Amino acid sequence: MAKFNFIASLNGEELNKSPLRQLWRHFKSNHVALVGLWLFIALTILATLAPVLAPYGVNQQHSDALLLPPSWDDAGDVRFILGTDDLGRDVLSRLINGTTYTFGLAILTALITTLLGVILGVFAGMSKGVRSSILNHILDVTLSIPSLLLAIIIIALLGPGLLNTVWAIILALLPQYIHSVRNLVVQELSKDYIVAQWLDGANSWHVLSRGIFPNIYEHIVVIFTMSLSTAILDISALGFLKLGAQPPTAEWGAILAENLGFIYLAPWTVALPGILLFFAVLATNLVGDGLRTALKKRKAI
Amino acid sequence: MVLEYIFRRIILLSFMLLLLCVFTFSLSYLFPGDPLTNLSGVQNVSLHEADDLVQKYKLDHSMPTQFLSFLSRVSEGDWGISFASGEPIFKHIVALFPATLELALYALLASIVFGIPAGITAAAYHKNWPDKLINLFTLLGYSTPVFWLALLLIMGLCLQLGLLPMSGRISLLYEIPDKTGFILVDIFLSDVSYKINAFTDALKHLLLPTIVLSTYPTMVLIRFTRDSMLEVLEQNYIKTARAKGLSRSQLIFHHALRNALLPVIKQIGLQFSTLITLAMITEVIFSWPGIGRWLIDSIYQRDFPAIQGGLLAVSTFIILATVTADVMHSLFDPITRNQTHGKI
Repeated sequence: MAKFNFIASLNGEELNKSPLRQLWRHFKSNHVALVGLWLFIALTILATLAPVLAPYGVNQQHSDALLLPPSWDDAGDVRFILGTDDLGRDVLSRLINGTTYTFGLAILTALITTLLGVILGVFAGMSKGVRSSILNHILDVTLSIPSLLLAIIIIALLGPGLLNTVWAIILALLPQYIHSVRNLVVQELSKDYIVAQWLDGANSWHVLSRGIFPNIYEHIVVIFTMSLSTAILDISALGFLKLGAQPPTAEWGAILAENLGFIYLAPWTVALPGILLFFAVLATNLVGDGLRTALKKRKAI
Repeated sequence: MVLEYIFRRIILLSFMLLLLCVFTFSLSYLFPGDPLTNLSGVQNVSLHEADDLVQKYKLDHSMPTQFLSFLSRVSEGDWGISFASGEPIFKHIVALFPATLELALYALLASIVFGIPAGITAAAYHKNWPDKLINLFTLLGYSTPVFWLALLLIMGLCLQLGLLPMSGRISLLYEIPDKTGFILVDIFLSDVSYKINAFTDALKHLLLPTIVLSTYPTMVLIRFTRDSMLEVLEQNYIKTARAKGLSRSQLIFHHALRNALLPVIKQIGLQFSTLITLAMITEVIFSWPGIGRWLIDSIYQRDFPAIQGGLLAVSTFIILATVTADVMHSLFDPITRNQTHGKI
């Protein structure tokens, strides 16, 4: 108790702020994470406004400019900043439009997974006895099947296509998500303040909405960022394997696969989508990591 | 106590395998097309053939009977016939699985050799420059899509510099008789005159896929080892040891390391799932004749019996690896054995 008072008097001002404020303060002090957040916001804007921002149409072909290198190259043309592909399509426009497919759809996928995962995870966490044990074992089995393999099986059921990919990835990500949310709920349920709530006569819904949820939603955001980065990687990997987005859809993985034959002639058409993918995943990971560190720091006070 | 624990694990293992079989069996009904064709892999059956097949697969019986006959066929190694090649699926899997396993094992070995020391270093120099450097490195490694990394390495090392071969397991010049399916072991066992040349050639072919495949698991292991080490270093007995005046290396190697590495054992077992997933992509890029590439090809060809067989083989392997790692972990760490059942 004495220890607590001592710290409280030192950081009294800090402790008076709301938990979210404290979290933001800790997050802000981590500059790398902040850069990640800006990158994340920029990509989100790009994903929503892609058709407006892109200089040319996605599938607009320029027959006078085939396989043009990026504009900084001697052979490049300033009209096409990042060059063109084998059909004379502007690489920059295709990449900007690809943000909507790869990044935007990944966000959508992760959001739907979050919704389903939180509902099912809370249900799994609140149930007890045989039901919980069976659920746990079924989860163990699905977790042991690799997520990409599971997605591939689901695609074999549904047939290739971008929308089917989204469903497949949602289903493949769910077990992991349910498992994490379940762990959070179980951890929280064993704490004394929840027991006190039960003893006060609160029902399950009350305990859940007033007791558990306010204490775990920040952790759910962290899980969200993790599943988002997996979703980006899986969507593009399936696109790359020609099981997801089909050409001429400008999904980054599909663009990469499409230009694989020109890897020697036009390496930029392969390297650039990869760089964007890398930055998208990096931004997500940075935000997630920053958030996790900030949560840990806040707890330490 | 230990026996009871292992017994419980074995029951859990059988339960998981049973569920996996149920899932695989139900796929023949879920996949498009006729369940009989999906189960047997025989296409365009004539009428009297169909009768025989229905008899064999017990399709005129109830679902549980069908499932039992499915189980007995799976255990006998009769996994149906591939649509694409017309040959038994089990034969394909036996021929292809060692190639994937070989690649995955080398990658796992590489990730253990590099990942764990790096994690320990990062934890030992917590918040100093080695920690920051390793952290930056893991963050970059985590964010690199595996297929892009593979293509970058191919562009740089194979196409530009011409240092390494970019596809296959061994140059076509060397003919190695197939014995175990593990190329390095096969070369060692064979009695050809060009043994050493073949060996270096196989190593050259192995290098790039192994690097690509091991990147992600290495990052996971670095992170995990670092976190586990930091957690142990926080504990009171370490503080006591430090208060007694032990040096950092004494502290880490004699006191912290053993406890910190315990959870890592379990984590290594969990890596197989990631490894096999990534191996599928790596094999496609490097034309590695393994089960991952075969599975992806089966999807292109809508070869449903092959997909089912591949799923069954790969998942069984992963479940076995996970449970083995779990049992190993609990053998080394008695505390985990005492946990209440059904809890996590």
